[in-house]
Amino acid sequence: MPRARGLMRNSRKTECGAKQFLSGLVVRVASLALTCLISLAGVVGVIIAQSSTERSVWDAVYTADQAKRGEMLYANNCASCHGSALGGGESAPPLAGGEFFANWNGLTLGDLFDRIRVSMPADRPGKLGREQNADVLAFMLSVNQFPSGKAELEHQSEVLKQIRFEAEKPRK
Amino acid sequence: MQEDATRRRNVLLRGQLAAMLFMTALGYAQQPSTKNGEWPHYTADLKGTKYSPLAQINASNFNKLEVAWRFKTDNLGTRPEYKLEGTPIMVRGVLYTTAGTRRSVVALDPKTGELIWVYSLREGQRAAIAPRQLSGRGLSYWTDGQGDDRVIFVTTGYRLVSLNAHTGQLISGFGKNGMVDLKEGMVTGTGQQIDLETGEAGLHSTPLVVKDVVIVGSSFKEGMTVVTHNNTKGLVRAFDVRTGKMLWTFNTIPRPGEFGNETWGNNSWATNGNTGVWTQMTVDDDLGLVYLPVESPTSDFYGGERPGDNLFGESLVCVDLKTGQRKWHFQIVHHPIWDYDLSSAPILADINVDGKAIKAVALPSKESYLYVFDRITGKPVWPIEERPVPQSDVPGEKTSLTQPFPSKPPAYGRNFLKIPDDLIDFTPELRAQAKDAVARYKTGPMFLPPVVGDSNMLGALNLGNASGGTNWPGAGYDPETHIVYAQAHQSALFPVSLRTPPPGFSDIHYVMGRNDTDFRVSEGPGFGSAADAPQPKRAPVRAAATPAAPAAAPAGGLTVQGLSIVKPPYGVISAIDLDRGDLKWQVPYGETPDAVRNNPALKGMNIPNTGQPGSVGLVVTKTLVILGDSQVTTTPSHPRGAMLRAYDKATGKEVGAVYMPAPQSGSPMTYMLDGKQYIVVAVSGGAYSGEYIAYSLPPEE
Repeated sequence: MPRARGLMRNSRKTECGAKQFLSGLVVRVASLALTCLISLAGVVGVIIAQSSTERSVWDAVYTADQAKRGEMLYANNCASCHGSALGGGESAPPLAGGEFFANWNGLTLGDLFDRIRVSMPADRPGKLGREQNADVLAFMLSVNQFPSGKAELEHQSEVLKQIRFEAEKPRK
Repeated sequence: MQEDATRRRNVLLRGQLAAMLFMTALGYAQQPSTKNGEWPHYTADLKGTKYSPLAQINASNFNKLEVAWRFKTDNLGTRPEYKLEGTPIMVRGVLYTTAGTRRSVVALDPKTGELIWVYSLREGQRAAIAPRQLSGRGLSYWTDGQGDDRVIFVTTGYRLVSLNAHTGQLISGFGKNGMVDLKEGMVTGTGQQIDLETGEAGLHSTPLVVKDVVIVGSSFKEGMTVVTHNNTKGLVRAFDVRTGKMLWTFNTIPRPGEFGNETWGNNSWATNGNTGVWTQMTVDDDLGLVYLPVESPTSDFYGGERPGDNLFGESLVCVDLKTGQRKWHFQIVHHPIWDYDLSSAPILADINVDGKAIKAVALPSKESYLYVFDRITGKPVWPIEERPVPQSDVPGEKTSLTQPFPSKPPAYGRNFLKIPDDLIDFTPELRAQAKDAVARYKTGPMFLPPVVGDSNMLGALNLGNASGGTNWPGAGYDPETHIVYAQAHQSALFPVSLRTPPPGFSDIHYVMGRNDTDFRVSEGPGFGSAADAPQPKRAPVRAAATPAAPAAAPAGGLTVQGLSIVKPPYGVISAIDLDRGDLKWQVPYGETPDAVRNNPALKGMNIPNTGQPGSVGLVVTKTLVILGDSQVTTTPSHPRGAMLRAYDKATGKEVGAVYMPAPQSGSPMTYMLDGKQYIVVAVSGGAYSGEYIAYSLPPEE
């Protein structure tokens, strides 16, 4: 159950941070406390970001560097069926353009991420780890001309499920 | 006394009548048939019609259809399947089909979807490396009429399995413990037996069961970047349905002394493979004739290692049911190098042309031609002309000077890209951009030979080959009105460029690719996705890798501003009158995709229905043609999903539609049980894993 593992990793991090924070207060190891504060703040920050349901693929959800890494992974693991230009093959669907948008419009990046994770690459499903799948997904977003930004795409399905796949740029 | 005797006789008669009715109810008095509301074969009947005379579901109530039951296939294998292509059969009150990444066989209650039994075979490595994976197209049924009822299918690892239809148990008297190893007898070269575990052979179409014979085809890996042209040779075999004993073999690559061997120049029959029959076959059991639609030899796009016409590559072959001896053949494409593969079940049609009754066979195709022959003699019903075609300039390749073109019926879909007429023309700007997009491709009439590719020549741009026109789902036919109903994908551009493979990769001189880019292996669909495909062994994170080749085409294929460069309709449905050889009607298939309807470049314009791309199967009933969308859409009239649609058979007008959660991925079928008609269709794709959905009318209907 990789999905459960992802959640556990998250909660363990929070638990550990809180415990260390408390012990830091007690023994007044200032540096440790500071580190924990920062890491806890980081975790809280992520949680706040996660609770926002307004994010979509238009909100700069990956970085250009990540897409670059994903490009290499794509070339070695995906291009043989989906084509080097993501145009699809004899019966591997395109991963860019109208038909691709139609398949995913209105769903979330988490749905797309899990689909890739569970069934791809077809010759060895599950060959790529979560980070690598997130990189490939970042590459697909870049080819489809969704904007890149400063934060890398997450690799937890739950987080990705809060990023909507919108074919059209929402009017704000 | 007198009265008593009469009463007794009446009781006796009533008893006999009841027994007779009981036998009829069990179906033993007659063979399974669409006439009883059953759907006993993949294509409804042995003639490939996909026709059922049922009429309870019609234009007036199609919109009222409700989901009767669903059968999710996720757990029939180690992971969910996203390409469920099966069509169930329904015989004697039980529905049977294949499903899941393990290609399990399931028997279901046709009224509720309840699982009655399930069978699966764990084949390990043999399935993991199979050239045709996933759950396949379905299975077949046989009965002796005396209670010996069997379900027969081909496993992912290419074994022919016979099961007791009532229990799902192996039939011990069939082959070895219920199965025949189909890899036995498969050869390479001049006759070298392939390895039973790792040898290349498989099949995902259904066996053809006729009388007491089961006929099985063969298929192999896709041929884009092949490692050898000397791979496994195709063949078709017949077995005794009771014992599994082999009855005959038809060599689709003829051996010395066999008809057509000389069409393989330089003895190349001995060093080439493929040429299987991977799609559905059909049979005329009265005439005792079987119709084999044969695919391409190796490779799909380069034939330099096999000079000549290469019979029976891409030929329709008629063989004798009893002996497997060739009666006649017609080669649809000479020296095949376009991946036109004969894709569809040949349809057997008894027609009347100019007052003359003809027992015909009509072959739907990726070319969007319906090739129609007298099925006894093989003579074309309307002339099929050999016309000159463009010639190859790839070193070592010698293309046929001519190819066959039917004079009638006219093509029922676009089969080449006419420049500029077939380019998108919503606006002059889009037309101009489309012209630019094709500038570095070779364009022209049908049968453009592949070219050696580089940065200035991106490929020969054919339309319809590989995945266009009518693909494996085939077409349908109404035996009462003599009309074929065919769906065609008419925006399937397939650019092909060739390059020399890197040293040591292959013994073939040219594979798919371009000389100016890094060599990449191209795999066929579904390869390696069986339940027993290797489980995750993680690739090193951030593995060093060579950068991807520069894009050969704009993202998403040949598009301008997110729109196909091809002018709509992207897909059509046609009614083809086989008595007259003409099109009765043609309408766009499905509805305008979201990417077109919402495209900023088309804002404010009124775009008529563009139809959808893709090749899908259909059902023909008394009054309707029923088929589902290939794409998900979200429109003002329906939420996110795809629609299963009904078209009026007489006019092509859409008369109803019901919601599916994902695109149609297998051909639908229909049956009637206890007074209720059902339609079952396989859906999957995108985020939606494989599911069979049954529709029927609500109780008050």
